[in-house]
Amino acid sequence: MSDENKVPSVLVENVSKWYGQVIGINDVSLAIEGGVTGILGPNGAGKSTLFKLLMGRIKPSQGSVKLFGIDPWQDTSPYRRIGYVSESERLYDWMTGQDFVSTLARLHGMTRNEAESRAEHVLEFVGLYDVRHKEIGKYSKGMRQRVKIAHALVHDPDLIILDEPLHGCDPIARTSIMNVIKELGNQGKTVLVSSHILEEIERITEQIVILHNGRLLALGNIYAIRDLLDKHPHRIMITTEEPRKLANAFISEDPVYGVRFPEEGKLEIQTNDLSAAHSVLPRVIVESKVKVSRIDNPDDNLDSLLEYLIGG
Amino acid sequence: MEELDKQGRNLSTTVWTQLDRKAGAISELTIRQLRNRISTWVVLGVGVLLISLLLIFYIDSIREEFEPYDNDGDSEDWDNDGYPLGQERIYGTSDYDEADFPGSREYFYQGDIDYNDQPRNHYGNHTWLSAWGYFTPTWIDTDSSNPFSWYSSEYDWIDWNLEPIICEDTGLSDDPFEEYDWWESLGEKNYCLYENGTYIMFGAIFIGEGDFFVEPGFVTEWGYLTEEFFVEKHPKSMYIDEDDINWDGTKISSSQGFDDDGDCLREDYIDESNPNDDNRNGIYCDVQWTYDLNGNLVSIQADYNVDEDPDDSKHIGESSHRTFVIGTGKIAFVMILGLFLPLFLALGLVRDESENGTLHYLLSKPIHRGEFILYRLLGYLAIVVSYTVILTFLIAFITSIIGPGDSLIRLSDYPVWLGISLSTILVLTAYGSVFNTVGLVLPKYGVYLCILFGIWEFLMGLFTITIPNSSITMLSISHWAIQIIDATVMIAWSDTALIQQQADAFGLETGISFFWHPPVHTLGTGNPFIALIISVVFILIFSVGMILIGQLIFRRKEIM
Amino acid sequence: MNIISEKIIDLDGGKTRMEAAYGSDDGDEDLFAITAKREASIGTIFEQNYRPWDGDFGPRWIRNYAIFRHHVFGLFTSKGHRNYNPFIRLTILVIFIGAISPIAMLFFSSLFGSGPDGFIDKMWGINRSNLWGQVLGYFPRNLCYWPLLTALVVGGMISDDRRNGTSAIYFSRPVTRTDYTMMKYLSVAVVLGFVIIFSYMSYYTLAIVFKGEGWGFLIDTLPMFLAGLLCSIALVITYTSIGLALSSISQSRFFSAIAFLSIIYGTKLVALLIDLQFDTSILYILSPYDCLAHFGQWMLGLELNYSHSLSLSIVSLILMNLVSIFILISRVSSLEVTRE
Repeated sequence: MSDENKVPSVLVENVSKWYGQVIGINDVSLAIEGGVTGILGPNGAGKSTLFKLLMGRIKPSQGSVKLFGIDPWQDTSPYRRIGYVSESERLYDWMTGQDFVSTLARLHGMTRNEAESRAEHVLEFVGLYDVRHKEIGKYSKGMRQRVKIAHALVHDPDLIILDEPLHGCDPIARTSIMNVIKELGNQGKTVLVSSHILEEIERITEQIVILHNGRLLALGNIYAIRDLLDKHPHRIMITTEEPRKLANAFISEDPVYGVRFPEEGKLEIQTNDLSAAHSVLPRVIVESKVKVSRIDNPDDNLDSLLEYLIGG
Repeated sequence: MEELDKQGRNLSTTVWTQLDRKAGAISELTIRQLRNRISTWVVLGVGVLLISLLLIFYIDSIREEFEPYDNDGDSEDWDNDGYPLGQERIYGTSDYDEADFPGSREYFYQGDIDYNDQPRNHYGNHTWLSAWGYFTPTWIDTDSSNPFSWYSSEYDWIDWNLEPIICEDTGLSDDPFEEYDWWESLGEKNYCLYENGTYIMFGAIFIGEGDFFVEPGFVTEWGYLTEEFFVEKHPKSMYIDEDDINWDGTKISSSQGFDDDGDCLREDYIDESNPNDDNRNGIYCDVQWTYDLNGNLVSIQADYNVDEDPDDSKHIGESSHRTFVIGTGKIAFVMILGLFLPLFLALGLVRDESENGTLHYLLSKPIHRGEFILYRLLGYLAIVVSYTVILTFLIAFITSIIGPGDSLIRLSDYPVWLGISLSTILVLTAYGSVFNTVGLVLPKYGVYLCILFGIWEFLMGLFTITIPNSSITMLSISHWAIQIIDATVMIAWSDTALIQQQADAFGLETGISFFWHPPVHTLGTGNPFIALIISVVFILIFSVGMILIGQLIFRRKEIM
Repeated sequence: MNIISEKIIDLDGGKTRMEAAYGSDDGDEDLFAITAKREASIGTIFEQNYRPWDGDFGPRWIRNYAIFRHHVFGLFTSKGHRNYNPFIRLTILVIFIGAISPIAMLFFSSLFGSGPDGFIDKMWGINRSNLWGQVLGYFPRNLCYWPLLTALVVGGMISDDRRNGTSAIYFSRPVTRTDYTMMKYLSVAVVLGFVIIFSYMSYYTLAIVFKGEGWGFLIDTLPMFLAGLLCSIALVITYTSIGLALSSISQSRFFSAIAFLSIIYGTKLVALLIDLQFDTSILYILSPYDCLAHFGQWMLGLELNYSHSLSLSIVSLILMNLVSIFILISRVSSLEVTRE
């Protein structure tokens, strides 16, 4: 057991997977151990393919996948220590949450009683304790996502893989799921979360992996990546009634090197250092006494990050 | 191990108990899943309906008693002379001629003049038959009506009540037998009277005394008619169930039958052309029962009209009960339930899961994919097997109580029902694993393949029932399943072959010959146990093979 | 920085299928849609001007014909039509070839003579039993061909709509549920009719042509042919009704296919079992095939195989159709225009 702990939870070495002519994953190498890791990428980047490779659903065309040092395609034993939340939306609608989780718990070899009590425990953890005897068919979207997470946690796994757990949830459900994930990270488990929304990941973890077109694009701390981004031209969009007046106030500030008026009632500030620009922003606005209705960072999303990473 | 402990798992649990729990969980999930589908209940309900329908008909037929049935058809009176066929047979008369009945006048041959015989005339008081020539009468019987059968036409019999035709008036030539149109000349009569009192006869039949000159080149026969006497007409019911099977129960080849009703022996009538030894064993009017050295009945060969109309209530009760059990087992259980339950329930066991995406939840657990298929099938089998067992037990219980026989419960039925149950369960397993595997290999259109397979099995099952020896049927599961039933029948009711032979030999209409045949695959020993074991092993090997193929494919399958 | 480009898109050349189906041509010649495209430096905003439909609908039957065409033409090409799997198409082709196989035998007999004792003509030539058998014979036609054909065609006809919510395609347009049901029914009936009735008619026609029979023969056999035709229509209607009713109560194409087969085979087999054991043919009134066969034997003047009264079979046949159509109608009228 102590030997096993030395190998990383997730080890992906030069893995490629193609479906006929279409490449799903292209020469990706990863090693992940401990903490929450966000897998970022637009739709079709290969996130789900990566997870399916990790879960032994599909076989890598090249390279090797190891979970706790074992190939999941050959051997299902690593699943004892893994919880997986698939992107599938379908559940057994006729089952109650308690039934669902405890039935799946029994597949870990638990006795019926063990499974029931573990299920109750884990449903409490994800905040479904009160509705655990309701049929899943009557659950809301967020509850369904949480019951999926519950089944993945029921055996207290060391590695948890969540495929788009926040997909389609309302803000409240989103927050509670995020809290659950953060809590898992704090417990010292290895958690993989995929998403195509930067902000979501940002609120959960600092450690990210960016996939694009099946390639591994970036890997590391989200702020480090962000900082790289910050040093490059960036835009801040301000919606205001008096854009020209505000522009005058900004143009004198150091981080700002240009302004544009793309539309009626809008001001675009161009900057090289996004964080510096944001730090001066409130002061300038307050001083200029111009009424500002909203501030957008059109570049502060995954697309522009990707654009930057590919372009750079 | 510390790790395991920490995760709340019991140290003492072995791999086996864990497997047990997984199997339990997946089977239970499968059962609950099937239970939650309306179609499952509809299908199971239709099965119950089917069995109840059969039971209703069974109860109805049992309650009505077995009507005495005229197996040989000799209670009919085809010529409406009041004497049934059986009685006419005993007296050697025809039932297709109302002039020919017991006690009717009968003709006996006395002599004839052939084509070239000399002298060509004969004197006497006779009944003249197809007389060609000249008759000089001293007396003519003008009162009798035609005593002869329908096959001697009415033109041959002379109706003396009509005015005689005078030959001289008809333009008949001097040499009338050379003429071809005498028929027309005589106005379609076959005789005429010369003015000298001599008759010329063209193949006529009549009774009279006198001198007959037979025209050279023609034939005339004469004899005498017995007097008509009265024979009491037997009621038709006398000829139903009148000749029961006479068998002393010894199982050695012997002559056994006895012609109770006398329609073969015919004491006062001997038919020279019918030696009454159709089975050619040298004994008139008997039944030859042939056994082999092991005491198995090989054949029953009866002489014609011996033991031909047995007591139906005595024999049919038992054999039609067996027909019901065997027919229900083969058709209702193996072919209908055995085929349609898996089609509805087993096809989607894994396919539906992967189509719905719920497979991910199950496969992300530490369970081998091969195991998964097996446990799914176990869940399906848990439902259909308990269903089959309950259904067979119910029908067995009811029919064994109300079935024919002296004992309160027909205990000997239960092994057969057990065999039917076993056969159905094996079929359900085999088809279940086939359909499951096909559903895995061709998730989208595999069902159509399954339907084709089902039609094939259906056809082969029908052929197996009717022609069990055909070799093509061996390529189907239903063939082997039906063999199992045939074999258990032979084991539990060892005298079924006897009943079947009796039914065949004595014309008992029970359908047992249609529904049951001795098992085929006995390696030439005729031992039903061998057939049973071979069939069970074959189906098991097939099922296991199919499950293995399914596992192999599923293990290599990439699940999206 | 506002760049507004207005484009008039002439749809005349590129009418969509549905528009062609639902729009009458009167007043539609000047079809155009205005789309305003506003280009901003950040991106493109489409301002959508919804154009209310103010044309006339095409005649009802033209609309219905589009539904019909969608289902029937799919057998030959799935471009823009209902997709029939190649496997299904192949099976239907095999069934069709099987159904017209007597024609080949007659062709050979006209080429090489009819064999000893006119064997080929007796087996495959035109006579009462062969005309009956061409439609209602049990083996192989009603054991393999027709039920399988119906199961394949009927399988997803309505159940797919229920499963995928594609009934919305129809009900969001001016198509009434009656029209929908009617056209689905007609589509299935035409596909079945194509195989069953068409093969029957070509058998009769080609038999006469190949054997060079004259007008007298034609007049002699025409009543028999018409009786057989009536039987085949009854068969197509009955199978279609039962099949579509099953398709309308399920969401799975497989369920309806299997359920249809189990009704056809199950009832026949149970009735046979009871007939053989208890010597009563009354249960054959439960079997759609046997009711049709009984009716057909009477129509063609054959000896009746069944001991129960013909009127029972006919009443049962009518009841089967009525119940099936009732189920079909009530299920379609309660069909929700969502994915169920």
